[in-house]
Amino acid sequence: MNASYPLTSRRPDDVIACLDGAEVRVDEFLGQVQALAADLPDHRYVINLAGSRYTFLLGFCAAIVAGQCTLLPPNRQQATVQGIRDEFADSYVFDNAALPRSAPAADVPEIPADQLVAMVFTSGSTGESTAHRKYWHTLQAGAVANRQCYGIGDERIYMLATVPPQHNWGLETSVMLPLVADIAVSGETPLFPQDIADALNRLPEPRALVSSPIHLDALLQSGIGGIRIARILSATAPMSAQLARQLESRFGSRVNEVFGCTEAGSLASRATASESLWHIAAPFNFDVRDNKVRISAEHLPEPVELNDIVELVGDSAFRWLGRDQDMINIAGKRGSLAHLNHRLTRIPGVLDGVIFLPGEDSKRLAALVVAPGLEPSAILDALREAIDPAFLPRPLYLVPMLPRQETGKLARKMVLDLFETRRRLSEDDGEAADNSA
Amino acid sequence: MRPQSEFEQEVAQLIVDALNLEDIGAEDIDPEDALFGDGLGLDSIDALELALAISQKYSVQLKADDANVQEVFGSLGSLSAYIQENAA
Repeated sequence: MNASYPLTSRRPDDVIACLDGAEVRVDEFLGQVQALAADLPDHRYVINLAGSRYTFLLGFCAAIVAGQCTLLPPNRQQATVQGIRDEFADSYVFDNAALPRSAPAADVPEIPADQLVAMVFTSGSTGESTAHRKYWHTLQAGAVANRQCYGIGDERIYMLATVPPQHNWGLETSVMLPLVADIAVSGETPLFPQDIADALNRLPEPRALVSSPIHLDALLQSGIGGIRIARILSATAPMSAQLARQLESRFGSRVNEVFGCTEAGSLASRATASESLWHIAAPFNFDVRDNKVRISAEHLPEPVELNDIVELVGDSAFRWLGRDQDMINIAGKRGSLAHLNHRLTRIPGVLDGVIFLPGEDSKRLAALVVAPGLEPSAILDALREAIDPAFLPRPLYLVPMLPRQETGKLARKMVLDLFETRRRLSEDDGEAADNSA
Repeated sequence: MRPQSEFEQEVAQLIVDALNLEDIGAEDIDPEDALFGDGLGLDSIDALELALAISQKYSVQLKADDANVQEVFGSLGSLSAYIQENAA
């Protein structure tokens, strides 16, 4: 490992961002980074909440130059941000600051390899946050490796991302990648299909769209077409081969799905329309023992254990077999089913209950609860106080009893059968159920 | 809470159906209350589901200047007004 790495390996006259159709050159960007770095409040930590991706990029790089560590909360809710501020007293919030006027600068700052530049927070099932430390060497070497993992060549690409830069997937792609590859990133973060289409139309070709299956599915279902998107990169949730094929034919794209985790970043990729095997990115070593996967790489400070079950195929590919049954991922948040079930059954009046994911690609959890005398709304109110709202079961059905076996175990198949029966009942009898509630 | 207009009642039912909010009665949604954040506690996945349901039922594509769903949807009242103004 070198002692330091430059903030960017781009040439001064390259284009690094696109703002409302205007291109920002690397030397203009570096001038603004230097000016902003000199102006930042004197604290160790900065919480970067900037909504504009370019403002985020500037704030992030200025903090690195000023030796400050950027804290990235899992969401922008006031309680979340306040929780992080309480834990890191020597911190301030960087928001949609006015961009500094400054002369272009060609000098590229050198950043110590072992400088702690960011902490990415992920929220667990109760809404509490876990911090993942990112050192400059980890992010910088990760970005260089990701070029290959994503199949990014030497040709300039204009990138739009629908995922926020505060999320690790958004950080790796739309913030770190433009520092090492010929990418001009849009300042926008659109969510709705029409907004995504408009933002893409403001970018020159060839374009890349960085997104998630949920956003891409909505884009497809909206019926919007007539836009060419050369590359689509998707992560955060599994994508079906069908969705990948439909996207490729609608937008003339090559779709790559990326497999990764917040601790280690992007680890593998595949062309989901035609491949089921994942190709492991060059720097990573997958050590599979007793159904556990340990990831190691020169740029990671320590090995990372995954909650996934994989089967290695040769030296550099794997087949994904599933996740550890207990771990779930809803709306980009990780939770433990055991923990959620514990919270559910601790509610006074709840005799038994189970929270589960009804299908492989379900967006929400569901629950079956035994609680004579309690209304579903009362149970949900009690849960709302104990867990992150993303994990609230929808729907939650009351049942007389759960189909437990003699050992007390619940077979997934039996739970799903009961759920399906109860769901049909509720659909047939929707109005009556509403009135009784 | 002010009473829901006829159109607001229709949109409220669409919200409850599209998002599986069976513990909330459509008639209980206050037209002035925030739908997202602290209101009904909806998030961006709900926003997308709702946008899709609205585009299918009313042929209205929701648009926002940024991804701040709180401002896009505001309340049942403002969402209903937006749909009525933009419906073909």
